[in-house]
Amino acid sequence: MSGSEQQVATNSSSGKKNDSVQTVTKDKHSVSKRLQQELMSLMMSGEKGVSAFPDGDNLFKWIGTIQGPIGTVYEGLEYRLILDFPNGYPIVAPKVKFESSCFHPNVDENGNICLDILREKWSATYDVLSILLSVQSLLGDPNIASALNHHAADLWKNQSLFKKYLLDKYDKEVRNKKF
Amino acid sequence: MVLTEEDSSKSGKNNENSSDNASSQYECNICLETAKDAVISMCGHLFCWPCLHKWLETKPLNQTCPVCKSAINKDKVIPLYGRNSSNKTDPRDKIPPRPQGQRTEAPRNNFFASGLDGLHVSFGIGAFPFSFFASTFNFTTDNRMPAPPPGSPQYAEEQFLSRIFLIIAIIFIIWILLA
Repeated sequence: MSGSEQQVATNSSSGKKNDSVQTVTKDKHSVSKRLQQELMSLMMSGEKGVSAFPDGDNLFKWIGTIQGPIGTVYEGLEYRLILDFPNGYPIVAPKVKFESSCFHPNVDENGNICLDILREKWSATYDVLSILLSVQSLLGDPNIASALNHHAADLWKNQSLFKKYLLDKYDKEVRNKKF
Repeated sequence: MVLTEEDSSKSGKNNENSSDNASSQYECNICLETAKDAVISMCGHLFCWPCLHKWLETKPLNQTCPVCKSAINKDKVIPLYGRNSSNKTDPRDKIPPRPQGQRTEAPRNNFFASGLDGLHVSFGIGAFPFSFFASTFNFTTDNRMPAPPPGSPQYAEEQFLSRIFLIIAIIFIIWILLA
């Protein structure tokens, strides 16, 4: 019993370097497989209001777009997101941030998003679609208590004022950059 | 025929993985492929053991099911063995083997009903030194746990003991006949 365990131990220590290289390539392979599957199901889902596609040839970096939810101040606006998938995906959450600047209580000036499911509440069963839908619903339903943009959080109480400021900012920073 | 097709596509849509083929219900919830070394949680969710192990490893203090977030741990998942799958044991270097299936022997409610199996050591003839032996052994066999499975050390030991008692019994009988 102990003899065989020792053997295993020595084997694993001698082959450690090889192992780690192998597992990284193996991980990458399985992650890209899963991302391909997600891409397929995302294109098949026909979900309106959100979309995503890999950025060029790199399957580990996607560009997503979300439309502001109908019935909120963000209605009619469109935002671009960058999704960065680590080698440990989906065990590890992807890094998600706004590419376009977004005036929102839970988004800072660099586009970082404060969303629990992207941090401590992440689950390996979440996918690109659920992330995009969550960010979309965050737009219309911010969490004022854990604000990153305090100006936006203060302004949120007055929706008409918020909308005016938001549209001004969007026209200046997003629409102009598009073309 | 048309109905069943519709049904399956409906259930596929309800499924998070929303792929329409029937095998999708046997997909791992983490890698989205047909589960390899499948295990199922007490809450009924299917995973590859390597995938689930990776997930549980990331949060050793708060192990939850990735699908429904119910408490889960290594001892609370059940391996699934298909007809031909249990033979394929691939060398998994870092991933520990799947947890063992737990099987408990059905309790024996009647000692005599179990047949000759439990009667190994009783050799009562009626003469007073043996009736003592016979009754004692009968009582002990009555209370003991179910017979150990063939091949285990306990089984060999019991076989050995019953043979010794048999020899002793024969010697006694010969001694009585000669005396």
